[in-house]
Amino acid sequence: MTAMTKGIYFTEALARYRADSELGPLPEPVDVYALLNAYHPDYLRDSLVKLAVGANAGDSCQRELAELLQAEAFIDEADLAGTPVTDIDVLVIGGGGAGCAAALMAAEKGARVLLATKLRLGDSNTVMAEGGIQAAIEPDDSIQQHIQDTLRGGHHAGDPALVSIMAADGPEVLRWLIQQGMQFEQTTGGDLHTRRAGGLSTPRLVHCRDYTGLEMMRVLREAVIQHRSIEVWEQSPAVELLSNETGQKCVGAVLTSLLDGRLRIVRTRSVILATGGLGRLHLNGFPTSNHLGATGDGLVLAYRIGAQLRELDSFQYHPTGLLHPAHLSGKLVTEGVRAAGTLLVNALGNRFIDELQPRDVVCAAILRECSEGRGIRVDDGRVGVWLDTPRLERARPGLLEKQFPNLMTRTKIAGVDPRKQPLLTHPTLHYQNGGVVIDVNGATTVPGLYAVGEVAGGIHGRNRLMGNALLDIISFGRRAGAAATANRDRGPKKVTLEHVNRLRRALTIAGMPMTLRSPQVLPDYATGGAWNR
Amino acid sequence: MTIKNSPAEMADESRPVALTINGLAVSAQEGMTVVEAAWHGGVPRLTGVGCMEGVCGSCRIMLRRGDIVSVGLACQTFVENGAEVIFLPPASAPRHHYELSDFKDGWDIHARFQDIFPEAARCRHCHGCNVSCPKGISVEEGVMQASAGRFRDAGEIFFECVMCELCDGACPELIAPAHVGLFSRRVTAHFHLRPPNLIHRLEELRQDKLDKSVSYIDDGDD
Repeated sequence: MTAMTKGIYFTEALARYRADSELGPLPEPVDVYALLNAYHPDYLRDSLVKLAVGANAGDSCQRELAELLQAEAFIDEADLAGTPVTDIDVLVIGGGGAGCAAALMAAEKGARVLLATKLRLGDSNTVMAEGGIQAAIEPDDSIQQHIQDTLRGGHHAGDPALVSIMAADGPEVLRWLIQQGMQFEQTTGGDLHTRRAGGLSTPRLVHCRDYTGLEMMRVLREAVIQHRSIEVWEQSPAVELLSNETGQKCVGAVLTSLLDGRLRIVRTRSVILATGGLGRLHLNGFPTSNHLGATGDGLVLAYRIGAQLRELDSFQYHPTGLLHPAHLSGKLVTEGVRAAGTLLVNALGNRFIDELQPRDVVCAAILRECSEGRGIRVDDGRVGVWLDTPRLERARPGLLEKQFPNLMTRTKIAGVDPRKQPLLTHPTLHYQNGGVVIDVNGATTVPGLYAVGEVAGGIHGRNRLMGNALLDIISFGRRAGAAATANRDRGPKKVTLEHVNRLRRALTIAGMPMTLRSPQVLPDYATGGAWNR
Repeated sequence: MTIKNSPAEMADESRPVALTINGLAVSAQEGMTVVEAAWHGGVPRLTGVGCMEGVCGSCRIMLRRGDIVSVGLACQTFVENGAEVIFLPPASAPRHHYELSDFKDGWDIHARFQDIFPEAARCRHCHGCNVSCPKGISVEEGVMQASAGRFRDAGEIFFECVMCELCDGACPELIAPAHVGLFSRRVTAHFHLRPPNLIHRLEELRQDKLDKSVSYIDDGDD
């Protein structure tokens, strides 16, 4: 975050702001890759290192993540002796949308399921997703177009097999969600209402006003709580996976408790990782839109047991995180607000980018405006640009209140009214584009281990489109739940930490420091004695 | 413009605020939320913090300011001098059990509701739920609509519900209003949401599967 000291001061810019001012023409489009190279945080100098050990040795990785992937484990064999053991068919780690979908599907297929989650069931990034879920259901849309948009949006780095299967699942995913009791916005004729979004060739975003994730999460949470075959352990983060004698197969996990700090062993045939992303690692010093628990634990656990990861150098910075009011710093203004026609305006009162370009491009353009002195500065020196909501209110009175109640409610407690005052925004760390390598059933390269949702990679390439995350978590969550249940082997004879020993040897040989322990579990500023590393 | 009065703006002046959180004296700064103040003051064993934008319903607190005791969400509550804050434990497991798949059709849903939530009809209109709701939902009205079998209207009233379950704790009749609200929303979608555009596309895909055995379609259901 360099060159953040220039720009026009907030109150001065606000006094100068007019919702009816002439905006002037959009500047000529610049070369997208030149813009990304110059301003996108993925390309910042010194932000990448090469991994020294593990399945991705030699690959580029964000520095903060690499430190955790190549760190020491919390436990060794001595910790396992005398630890209580629970046997279960399927263990799901993570209580967001992906974890709940996986647990529900596994239970539907007849498995006894344990869902363990670090915080409270439903406490996740899913609950904060505002915009919607993509599914090709309109007459002039097709599965094929959905596939193409997703691959293009991801700069063709996504796995076409995964993208195809997810897009094809879209309509069935919506039916399943409605069956679970999820509501969606409808047209007067009863059709599901669809919206446009950045990078979509046609309206494809199905939504529940701007509470799509909350509606999804509270319904799935209730379905999980009510399900007779699913047991839920809250406040129970996973600190390590368990492997068989050869360290080649995942046969369970070691959980701890944030309440009493005691370890528990869970022995199982299949483990489904649904731990989400890593925004709370604050890569490159950025604020984040993410939930408190998003500390990349799943990536660390999967890597240590030998799973292949991908695109560890690619993260999504959502263009419009709030800079003001301060207590919402980094929190999102949904892309739906831009899709509804809201423009981005710099301190000089000019537009500077087509607002519905893919997120990485819009993000880079905002960072360019800020670093070249055309941003708006607040007291602590941070700089942003206007999201011109009052202009939208003028053009379409009442729309903000009707379609974006979440935004209105959140800003109200700080006395900010987006209908009267433009919102000051700056890119915020939002999404992990890559993750654990999976096949179409969510299976990782390690037998017995599945990964679904944000922790998995390969679907969104190097940039995710709006509305594909909520689809991804349900599509692959259900697939992994079913596949994990189909695994009917006899289960583990012995649970070991052989994989931990293997990585420890590799770290020693590579001369790595091994002073840090991982997974992170909670950000350092929030541990407050609940979790001591 | 309301900007000058916003707590965030005043935070820049760094005026100290003294309060207690879980019994510990904390010196915070004006404009901080209770969550920020708790971290700032090193309050131990905080496991109830989630999204920090008021939608996950985890950071439940009880708060005393002067003579007034109230409940709310820590991430949505700004610090005040002399306030006493207690983080509440997570809600206990629900006592009302149902699975939507047990309901065969929508005609007997009103009877099923009364079996599952028998207490809902006994609401004594004490307004405890309304007062406890951090989202300002007319909880009591929602429970009344559900008791009358008007599940669509009831569900709409609960639209902004974040499942903090503070209303459940406030109800002397143990109605579990938050779960009444969610039940209402779920049965409305489950029995009545039949969108033509989605149904048409599902049928097209089914035909594709029969005709051309398109390889990428595998709904995993059969």
